[in-house]
Amino acid sequence: MNHMWKFTVRRTLIMIPQLLLLSVLVFLMAQAMPGDALTGQINPDLDPQEMQEQREELGLNDPWHVKYADWITGALQGDLGQSFQFKMPASELIWNRMVNSFWLGVATLIITYLIAIPLGITSGRFNDSLLDSSITGYTYIGFATPIFIFALVMLWIFGYQLGWFPTSGSVAPGVESGGLEYVMSKIYHLLLPAISLGLITTVNTVQYLRSEIIDTKQRDFIITARAKGASESRVYNRHIFRNSLLPIAAFFGFEITGLIGGTVFVERIFGYPGMGDLFIESVLLRDYTVVTSVVLLFGLASILGALISDIILSLVDPRIRIK
Amino acid sequence: MEKSNVTKAVFALFLVLLLALTACSGGSDDSGDSSDSGEGTEEGSNEGGGGEASEDKLYSIEDFSPSASNDGEPIDGGSITYGLVSDTSFEGTLNWNFYDGDPDSQILKWFDEGLLTYDENYTMTNDGAATFEVSDDNKTFTFTIKDGVNWHDGEPVTAEDWAFAHEVIGHPDYNGPRYNASFQNIEGMEAYHNGEADSISGIEVVDEKTLKITYKKATPSLLTGGVWIYPMAKHIFKDMPVDKIAESPEVREHPIGFGPFKVENIVPGESVVLKANEDYWRGEPNLDEVVIKVINPDTVVQALESGEVDLVSKFPTDQYPDNANLSNVEYLGKVDLAYTYIGFKLGTWDKENNEVKPNPDAKMANKNLRQAMWHAVDNKSVGEKFYNGLRWNATTLIPPSHPAYHDENNPGREYDPEKAKQLLDEAGYVDTNGDGIREDPDGEELTINFASMSGGDVAEPIANYYMQAWENVGLNVELLNGRLLEFNTFYDKVGQSGNDDPNVDIYQGAWNVGYDVDPTGLYGRNALFNFSRYASEKNDELLAKGVSEEAFDQEVRQEVYNEWQEFMVDEVPVFPTLYRSLIVPVNNRIVNYDLYDDDMSTGDTYLYELGVTQEEPVKAE
Repeated sequence: MNHMWKFTVRRTLIMIPQLLLLSVLVFLMAQAMPGDALTGQINPDLDPQEMQEQREELGLNDPWHVKYADWITGALQGDLGQSFQFKMPASELIWNRMVNSFWLGVATLIITYLIAIPLGITSGRFNDSLLDSSITGYTYIGFATPIFIFALVMLWIFGYQLGWFPTSGSVAPGVESGGLEYVMSKIYHLLLPAISLGLITTVNTVQYLRSEIIDTKQRDFIITARAKGASESRVYNRHIFRNSLLPIAAFFGFEITGLIGGTVFVERIFGYPGMGDLFIESVLLRDYTVVTSVVLLFGLASILGALISDIILSLVDPRIRIK
Repeated sequence: MEKSNVTKAVFALFLVLLLALTACSGGSDDSGDSSDSGEGTEEGSNEGGGGEASEDKLYSIEDFSPSASNDGEPIDGGSITYGLVSDTSFEGTLNWNFYDGDPDSQILKWFDEGLLTYDENYTMTNDGAATFEVSDDNKTFTFTIKDGVNWHDGEPVTAEDWAFAHEVIGHPDYNGPRYNASFQNIEGMEAYHNGEADSISGIEVVDEKTLKITYKKATPSLLTGGVWIYPMAKHIFKDMPVDKIAESPEVREHPIGFGPFKVENIVPGESVVLKANEDYWRGEPNLDEVVIKVINPDTVVQALESGEVDLVSKFPTDQYPDNANLSNVEYLGKVDLAYTYIGFKLGTWDKENNEVKPNPDAKMANKNLRQAMWHAVDNKSVGEKFYNGLRWNATTLIPPSHPAYHDENNPGREYDPEKAKQLLDEAGYVDTNGDGIREDPDGEELTINFASMSGGDVAEPIANYYMQAWENVGLNVELLNGRLLEFNTFYDKVGQSGNDDPNVDIYQGAWNVGYDVDPTGLYGRNALFNFSRYASEKNDELLAKGVSEEAFDQEVRQEVYNEWQEFMVDEVPVFPTLYRSLIVPVNNRIVNYDLYDDDMSTGDTYLYELGVTQEEPVKAE
């Protein structure tokens, strides 16, 4: 266990330079976007001189390293700066959106595993059967389908044609926050985006579980178990499934990383106000403070995801432990 | 039974295949089209263009009414959903004195309004919540707020509130975008803005309901948008630091106004629920409830079909031809306050003196060249081919949305390639080396760089069309960097911050015009947005005359602007290409609604009269 701690601490320490480098890159890229927060304002009713003064006040004319130093010192103290467009603190804005994205992520993960585990097991157990072929067929289609097309089709069919789900937003207008009605409305709104995203992201896990099971069932200890006369269901449920599940658990962290990319599209299409939606919006509006903060948080989530995976992996399989 | 299911399945499969096929061929079709039109123009495109366009459906804005057709009586009460069409969520700065983006203003108009209204020529009237009187020297305005005009919390709207709005916007710490030349025109405003005075000397609160404002310069612009008409609830904001107001919960979470509806609930960025304000000064609203919700422009048609929204804040005009027959909506339309134009770079921006610096040696400095380039393009066909007639040939720089000032008798420069060639010949732009392309008068090769914006499906074909048309009169025009430019890049290069890219020779842009017809903000010597960087004494003189005291007389002002429009047709620092229409669908159950802005008294209807003829929205069949 001592070893484990050392590993975790070392792994966490590596994160610090990673994050710093990431923040510089993100910041520079955001600055390289043409235009700034005030450039959308091409309107003769506005006074260009007044806008220059505002630029000066907001520090938009400072060189990048001054801006970066300002921003990173703020960020370290938890102050992500002021959103130019929303005229409110970026951290407050992001926090509101993060809550939505978090629940969307949780729902998607649940759906992902709800689909992946039975399909993966069936497919692995009866490999090369017609059932297996259909499941594998589904995964290939899943691999090949771009999420932004799939989500649009889902929205069109289940949102507009059948009218089973709401087509935008995270909660019905006018529902007071708190209370059961509010929670139910929230769940209702995130169901369709979560299902759309889950149906696509799950295919990785299905495939992985399938090959893991096929691999495991030819192992010596399974043959031994069979030879000892264990029933087929006992062999699958106790021996094979458990052993195959561990690596899947280890990939849980990477799953989080993968989700981020997906949520950007899905939130956009379903008009679901989460971080991904906020990201695209702030890029469009050149709201730099928000763009950099959101990307940095995405980066942080990815690095944390990788960290979780590394930790789980090293717990599961001591051979991978980094020296 | 079994069999018909199979047939259905086969049919569905075919449909899918068909879709896939059409999708695949889409790309090649497009390119085929554009080369077709190229041949058409060479052969004499007047006929070719017209013939092709007539195969598509053509529409005219004159066939649209700006008001809903009021079939049926409104029921008592009811609830409607207003689709806020935007690809970004609304920012939630819900105060007229601070808001920035258009989405916020679409929410604001339901619960707050200006104290004064405007007529169809965007001139101030006395039909609003306040009336005004102008002194003999046209400099002092006395405003009187009507009785019964109350904030949603019951407090009366007072002259103090109105003065307070001016104090906030002029405050040195003010962080909104409203402080501009109109405010600087108030006496004592600049001293107050610079922190030299504690109050604004030109603003006097006479009594609870009377406000007197003295302006430095008497100009007819004061009557057409130069007066700040939005009060600010002093009893709520008076103790708040000015730079904290925009982020305060009084603006973002429970804002108030004195409009026909009250804010009940806000889900940030997503939706707003409003209830009727029974105490509204014009009378109790017809509707009980208005729900505002953000709708993505890509799904607005579906939302209309299913009755999910009754009204929308705007509608992508290019989706109209495909959805003109939606059974459950009625399309309203009017001429938009906007025009598209092509500009010629004639100089640079002098940052030190804040004025344009015309360059007499600029590539586009030759007037004949500019006139010829206008004659060379057939904007009538562009409007018909690419916009089904919903945008149409523009003639002058004051669009027909301002009927009093748009000079209908001025034809602009009509499509006439022969005239264009003749003008170029006269000016010495002739082909000296036999490659079919004209050289400049010095015999040097002439390549004109064209900056054009990306966006929409037609941006590229239209840019290509213009380049073809110019090639047909012997001019070599190339896209800057060989491609269309994204919005921000485009305006950076054109000079929105004064750093004009010297490689841009001509550019295609568009302007929304304000209520005030005065074009100084776009074409004046000191206007940063005068991207062509054109200036001349005659222009200065005409623009000054248009806002002079004598122009308070509308006839004088009309004459001045007619002369200016003609002058621009002659000088061509820019030329207008297309006028635009604004098309908005409304559900069939909506009555008493029109497209005029809410502070306009032209439409016969105000928002409080808006009603529905049945409880549920009409759905598409």
